[in-house]
Amino acid sequence: MEPKNVSLEMRDYIAEMGAETINWCMQCGLCTNLCPWRLVPGETSDGFNIRHMQRLGQMGMEGFEEETILFACSTCSMCQSNCPRGVKIVDNVRGMRASIVGGGMAPAHLRPILGSAHANGNPWAGPREKRTVWQEGLDIPQFGPETEYFLFVCCHSCYDPRSTKIARSIAALLRHAGVSFGVIGAEESCCGESMRKMGDEELFLKLAESNIELYNGKGVQKIITTSPHCLWTFKNEYPELGGEWEVIHYTALLSQLQEEGKLPLAKSLAKKTAFHDPCYLGRHSEIYDAPRQLLSSALQADPVELGRARELSLCCAGGGGRIWAEVPMGERFGELRIKDALNVGAEVLATSCPYCLNMLTDACKSLDQQDSLEILELSEILAGALEEGQ
Amino acid sequence: MEKKTGVYICTGCGIGDALESAALTKVATGEYKVPVCKEHPFLCSAEGAALIRTDLEEAGVNTIVIAACSPRVMTDVFDFGADTVMERVNLREQVVWSHPANDEDTQMLAEDQLRMGLVKARDAEPPEPFMAEDLSKRVLVVGGGLAGMTSANEAAKAGYEVVLVENSDRLGGYLKDVYKLPPSQPPYEELQESNLEALTQEVNNQPAIKTYLGVQIEAISGAPCMFDVRIRQNGQEAAERVGAIVLASGSVPYDPNKLLDLGYGKVPDVVTAAQLEAMFTTGKVTRPSNGQPVKSVAFILCAGSRDPQHLPYCSAACCVESLKQAKYFKETDGGMPVYVFYKDIRASGNYELFYKQLQKDGVFFVRGAVTAIEDDGSGGLTVLADDELTRSPIMSESVDLVVLATGMVPTTAFGEAFKAQAPKEGDEESVVPSDTILVSNILNLQYRQGPEMPALQYGFPDSHFICFPYESRRTGIYAAGSVRAPMDYARCTEDGAGAALKAIQCVEMVAQGRAVHPRVGDQTYPEFFMQRCTQCKRCTEECPFGAINEDEKANPLPNPTRCRRCGVCMGACPERIISFKNYSVAMVGNMIKGINVPEEDEEKPRLLVLTCENDAYPALDLAGIRRLTYNPWVRFIQVRCLGSMNLVWIADALSKGIDGILLLGCKHGDEYQCHFIKGSELANIRMTKVQETLNRLVLESDRVRLEQLSIADYERLPEILDGFADRVQELGPNPYKGY
Ligand code: SF4
Ligand code: SF4
Ligand code: SF4
Ligand code: SF4
Repeated sequence: MEPKNVSLEMRDYIAEMGAETINWCMQCGLCTNLCPWRLVPGETSDGFNIRHMQRLGQMGMEGFEEETILFACSTCSMCQSNCPRGVKIVDNVRGMRASIVGGGMAPAHLRPILGSAHANGNPWAGPREKRTVWQEGLDIPQFGPETEYFLFVCCHSCYDPRSTKIARSIAALLRHAGVSFGVIGAEESCCGESMRKMGDEELFLKLAESNIELYNGKGVQKIITTSPHCLWTFKNEYPELGGEWEVIHYTALLSQLQEEGKLPLAKSLAKKTAFHDPCYLGRHSEIYDAPRQLLSSALQADPVELGRARELSLCCAGGGGRIWAEVPMGERFGELRIKDALNVGAEVLATSCPYCLNMLTDACKSLDQQDSLEILELSEILAGALEEGQ
Repeated sequence: MEKKTGVYICTGCGIGDALESAALTKVATGEYKVPVCKEHPFLCSAEGAALIRTDLEEAGVNTIVIAACSPRVMTDVFDFGADTVMERVNLREQVVWSHPANDEDTQMLAEDQLRMGLVKARDAEPPEPFMAEDLSKRVLVVGGGLAGMTSANEAAKAGYEVVLVENSDRLGGYLKDVYKLPPSQPPYEELQESNLEALTQEVNNQPAIKTYLGVQIEAISGAPCMFDVRIRQNGQEAAERVGAIVLASGSVPYDPNKLLDLGYGKVPDVVTAAQLEAMFTTGKVTRPSNGQPVKSVAFILCAGSRDPQHLPYCSAACCVESLKQAKYFKETDGGMPVYVFYKDIRASGNYELFYKQLQKDGVFFVRGAVTAIEDDGSGGLTVLADDELTRSPIMSESVDLVVLATGMVPTTAFGEAFKAQAPKEGDEESVVPSDTILVSNILNLQYRQGPEMPALQYGFPDSHFICFPYESRRTGIYAAGSVRAPMDYARCTEDGAGAALKAIQCVEMVAQGRAVHPRVGDQTYPEFFMQRCTQCKRCTEECPFGAINEDEKANPLPNPTRCRRCGVCMGACPERIISFKNYSVAMVGNMIKGINVPEEDEEKPRLLVLTCENDAYPALDLAGIRRLTYNPWVRFIQVRCLGSMNLVWIADALSKGIDGILLLGCKHGDEYQCHFIKGSELANIRMTKVQETLNRLVLESDRVRLEQLSIADYERLPEILDGFADRVQELGPNPYKGY
């Protein structure tokens, strides 16, 4: 075998692109073994080894740029939360992707997504003006100088018909609790979280800057997000770009309101329900109790816990751009998650992230279990409890 | 002194329920005519002990036999002073706990054990400790490096006078050439300044330390507490008398000229870690090939270490020393390409944090074998290696300098092998393999066995790394620092203190006429009945500790303070002239003769089991504690070491009609566990001879067997003892029975 060349320049370039802790890794391999890719068979699983990929980055050696390897990670943070060296593995993945995508070499299946985000401000190929379609018939207030919260609705829930129900439910809940909130509308752009994870730094910057300019211009101070992905980037990536707001996920806000007695709910749902912790709400943002507390208040019986829950939750495979990946049946993490739910005898699997809703719904269908298990977003359940409670 | 013996039989702990104590009493008072014999249901109680004490004080009893639990327990209760001959018969662990109660065979076993105890008590004398003359409690420290200086300081602080000798003209050893130290304080990420000056100050400020610089030890003669040291300094000679010695002569780097594969000597820009360190201390860090500054560097770890072709062991400190040197470069220029090629990074404890820091600093760590160092055509070098972490061969970028982390070789590993006097014609050829002693010109001991320390492995003069650190095979001489084992700064410091404590223990024990490790406190020592000595040299050759010198006529000259009291000499002596006050060839012979051997037609074979006191005997106790049962035909005699077994005992046993003899001792060979190093091996050699003799006498050689076991092997004992009994039964009765 020809020796591969070590390159300090390449290593330093990758580090500069975001893989700042790439050198910290001591190659213990814990990450590889904790990675959900170990739980499924197939080509990607065989090819993708996060320890090895980081090793290549560490040495500035070629070999990591292959699509099935470089774009396999769903940024679930299972590895990162447990790395004994505190390596920011997700940032390393992002940095390594950026070193390739930045040179104009995004993989073919992601190009239309990135292109749409560029052109329309959302990755779902939806026209800008359709961003507000979900609001139809709801009379959602506009954000103005008097409004306390700006409600930022994830692009997925603006354009995906199933997902719009999340936005509608959240708006109803907020209104019911008497929260002062408003939306901005068509000028809003995608938060860019996934775009950055896919390695398109330039696009992320463009989206972030336009949002920051827009929100700051409108005098936004506080933001409610519907998706934990938007929450995470607003909180962690926007401040250094000038977007410094108080950002809260809807579950956290609603559970506060509930504690203050402002959100009385009826224990209406009689089905056995389990909760799936979204990676970006759980491991990335460490919010575990708020959604559980809300869920309990809408169920007749206590919710059931999945075998792997909270810090150990299994990724739905929708993060890091994987929501746009074509994955053969039998290799989808979501399918394992459906089995987890069926194993504890759940009839409803609730979650609180639009990507999770999307991935789990697909997985449930591909396993042909839609008659046994219903996938719902927490807000839908809560809004249901509201109607009946009224 | 007229002996008056008292026998005390305990009936507690199940002994009385399992045995007929009246019959035991009859053995003592009837067969052995013992004037005092008492039973007590709880002998180790205050009342029980008082019973014995009263007899000692008021009834004129001066010799006691306690038939109760193992002699390894209740030692504080049954302590009646060194002047009282005391023998303990183990009825509990080795009789009633390991055999069925109220059984004829169990009772016979107990009675025989008692008989042997009675014989031993009859024949033993109270010890008369050997008192050294003109004794010194000073400590000689050989080597003024980190370990040596620490040792000297610690001994002085403990109140002992120290003589510190160093052959260079400055204290410091390895530290003298060190630029900076790896971190020893939180956050363990930055280099530290050398502490040599403070350490030297401390030594110089101790009035109790007398330092000699630029000297060589001419000769050391004598023995613990009586060592006479001749020191040569600028053609002058000084003499010092000391009690114990700490050997801290350190190590030297492995010869890089043997590392041709790594380009040393062929490629000018391949240097050793020591050479690089010198570049930093002198402030000129340049490429040997052209004098240009070094802009990139590769370290190759384990250069010669962990390699069967070179040093098979890990040199323990080079990983961290290389990390330290990598840090020198990163401190100068954070962007500089620095490579470290390694097998494993052995940076344990807090050094892990330092390693982590260097990873953060961007050092390329490559795990895998270096396959080549090549000239890249532009004057630089590229290193090729098999990177295990990507499972591919890789090639470094061009580097200016390659540094080899060469391993540590103890200073004791050099010199020709010492040859004892060539055997004179007609001398019987010794069957005992002699120890390798290299004439390394460090201690120059005036010992018949050779001038330096026998090595354990790889030239390190330790005697057992794991069980007995600092112990060597020369009593009163304790190794510390990298001469003992490869080690880093922190461990050298610890070693210096540890060996100093050992030296202090030694002088204190010897001053009281007591033995040091492992028979700590023993006041007996071997006495030689010289009139009958035939100058066969067996004792001088076989003593594992070089305790016996000889005069020009080959008469043995014992040095009791060098002696560990193992009895190997006693076992070796064909004339049986070496004895201890409470342990001798005749004494054990008489014990054997005390065993009741039933007639052949009773079909009750008898097996003599000689058990080493260090592992086998405690293992038998453990078997009893666990209530493991085994054959009741065994008769145990505890020996100091299997090496103290004299062949005449085998003859005694066979002529007495004993059917089989089993020797239970420690593991011998390369991974030996014998507390006296050679004892078990020597017993094995002697046994081979016995077996030849047995064959000549038309007695099956299987009747004598040696088994090696460690204390943890107690579970194997039933199998060993029963297996041997079965074999002996197959062989049938000893034909000499009844003669
Ligand atoms: S768990 Fe952390 S240190 Fe271990 S291989 Fe993965 S990234 Fe490296
Ligand atoms: S973030 Fe998740 S998917 Fe990505 S490598 Fe780590 S464990 Fe695997
Ligand atoms: S300390 Fe490190 S470099 Fe030295 S021999 Fe051991 S493993 Fe090799
Ligand atoms: S063989 Fe043992 S008992 Fe004999 S002199 Fe040597 S150390 Fe002492």
